[in-house]
Amino acid sequence: MKEPILMPVLSDTMQTGRLTRWNKSVGDPVHKGDALAEVETDKAVMDVEAFADGYLAGPLAPVDQDIPVRQTIGYLVDSPALTKAQPSAADDGKETTEISQPPSTNGAGSNASPLAKESKDHSGAASPAPPAASVVPTSEVTPSAVSAPSEGADLSGSSPYARALAADLGIDISHVPAGPDGKIHASQVIAAAVQPQDADLRLGPPFLIRKPSSLRAAVARNMVASLSIPSFQISADFALQPLQARSKAQKRSFTLALARACALTVAEDPYFNTVWTAKGLAVRSRVDIGIAVDTGAGLITPVLRDAAERPTAELAEDWRILLDKVKTGRLVPEDYQGASFYVSNLGIFPEITQFDAIVPVGASAILAVSAPSDNGKTVLTLSCDHRVIFGADAARFLQRLGQRLQDPSWLS
Amino acid sequence: MTDLLYWQALNRAMDIELAEDDSVFTLGEDVALYGGTYRVTEGLLAKYGEWRVRDTPISENTFTGLGVGAAMLGLRPVVEIMTINFALLAMDAIVNMAAKIPFMSGGQFPMPLTIRMPGGIARQLGAQHSQRLEVMFMNVPGLRIVVPSTPQDAYWQLRQAIRSDDPILVLEHELLYFQKGAVDETAIAPPLHQAQIRRAGRDLTCITYSRMSTVAQEAAAELASEGIEMEVIDLRSLSPIDWESCVQSVSRTHHCLIVEEDCRFAGTGAEFCATLQEFCFYQLDAPIQRVAALDLPTPFNGALEAATIPAKENVVQAARKLMGLNQGVSQ
Repeated sequence: MKEPILMPVLSDTMQTGRLTRWNKSVGDPVHKGDALAEVETDKAVMDVEAFADGYLAGPLAPVDQDIPVRQTIGYLVDSPALTKAQPSAADDGKETTEISQPPSTNGAGSNASPLAKESKDHSGAASPAPPAASVVPTSEVTPSAVSAPSEGADLSGSSPYARALAADLGIDISHVPAGPDGKIHASQVIAAAVQPQDADLRLGPPFLIRKPSSLRAAVARNMVASLSIPSFQISADFALQPLQARSKAQKRSFTLALARACALTVAEDPYFNTVWTAKGLAVRSRVDIGIAVDTGAGLITPVLRDAAERPTAELAEDWRILLDKVKTGRLVPEDYQGASFYVSNLGIFPEITQFDAIVPVGASAILAVSAPSDNGKTVLTLSCDHRVIFGADAARFLQRLGQRLQDPSWLS
Repeated sequence: MTDLLYWQALNRAMDIELAEDDSVFTLGEDVALYGGTYRVTEGLLAKYGEWRVRDTPISENTFTGLGVGAAMLGLRPVVEIMTINFALLAMDAIVNMAAKIPFMSGGQFPMPLTIRMPGGIARQLGAQHSQRLEVMFMNVPGLRIVVPSTPQDAYWQLRQAIRSDDPILVLEHELLYFQKGAVDETAIAPPLHQAQIRRAGRDLTCITYSRMSTVAQEAAAELASEGIEMEVIDLRSLSPIDWESCVQSVSRTHHCLIVEEDCRFAGTGAEFCATLQEFCFYQLDAPIQRVAALDLPTPFNGALEAATIPAKENVVQAARKLMGLNQGVSQ
């Protein structure tokens, strides 16, 4: 028996995953549930688990390359003998680099995952891979991940209509990325037209293109998506010292106390827990607060669920677990997606006395908290989706929040 | 407005034209006593007599030639050739005489000749009786060819053909004779060679004719359930072709799918494809696709026969592929 191990689908939006490491080598015995490899998705690192007992067999998919979901990344076999069938099984652990160099006939059209071609080649007369190829490191400049099913020779291109459209729209078609079939159709041109133009780097200093981390790419996508939100900002000065003192006394983290204060204030005005959608206003029944956290490598927003109704002690435990996951890079999408209100706190930077934040898609407002000014007061800036929240609503929100900060006796 | 079968609509058209114009007459194998192989001339012998509804021997070139001669002298003959396959025996009369005489006589001889021919693949009639020879006639300048796909069009187009002074082939599909449809005898007919949009759609244009028009409409209904809106254009005429309707549609949808019962190689679709890319090249967002019959003599076995011609599923698949939607993950 030889069963393929597939790149798992770990979230609705996941199109590709990137293996960060293989925990097992070819020939290793594995048990059902063992973590075979780690895969980095949009934001989190998760395990690929063995679905049965057996032995790991190659070829294994390379690490640090985007691989389409459901693509084969390795094999589970019944007996150790079967794992030896691979020519490269002798030099254990080298498979990953080897197959990152697909022996493709035409270098240009090798967008398809190396495995797809490789697995065919391996079945027959398997000659030892040239050692030179196996030590060449994977280039950082990887081709785009979602690739065409490579059937037949690819004629170059773009459709006549796509070219005509690009000419009409003043778009350089050579910069338009191809669609799933490897061709540029009108839909790709239109997508390029509505997207912000890439900088023209040809005139500037020399450069390298490095692939952004999944986390960075996800933030970039979300920020572009948020451009469609017509937003406004409103600010107020409040003294945060009473809340700080109270949270210290109650042995709660100040971030948690702040999130709780926001949740209670959001709960008083349903519009702050509502999001504009094409179908209508989505009024949510629960206040989920997303809290922006600086991981050093980028931004992530773990979510405290039902932050208005549940006891503070429970939230505190949740927060501890979330922070732990942030540190180990093991947040799963359920941990960081779908907040209905966000808080971003730059208070640890004493120089920053004011800033405003971008309303993420899916929320109607985000609160930006800076460091206190000389007068001891802190500027809180609320960015709101004006389709849902109007200026006076936002002003009243800040008033009510201010009262909670002034008198934090509610914090237990 | 009445519901008629396709053959009844043709029968009605014949009846009216015979009644209204004394110069109209019909001849062919089994048209009189038997009433026509597909009943199109049923009851006409009794009504109009054997001079105007006339049985002939099995002699296609001869009786078609007789039709040509009668047309030259001012009559309006409607020749029935029992199937288009037998027209091969009448090629000289059709191609060398009917199509040429008006030109070679400098217009001195008109050619108000109508030739009706059942055709297409019916059910297990064998390779020699299942040919789609329309493409052969399309290649003959001087002939007009209409391909009605509904009882209403059958009624309109046969009447218009009989009244035309040009030689016209009316290609009737054998599987359509017993299809029912509304026929409005009072409605004003569209121009004889004008195409009709059978179903409107924004995503792709399906260009088709005759029975494949109904297959394409079934496919369009299924595609609609997947969110693909396929426009179905029934050409109604293969010579001349209403390119304007096709071009207008393709310029909107930017995708073109051709569905024909004819064989793919050098079939009708080849001509559609070649001409449309001349007109629409800069409007095309994907190569024009053809769904056509396999290039082989039609097998007699029913299952094999069905496998040689396009079915709804083939059209649906081709449309999905054309829209770039057929690339699911296959393991």
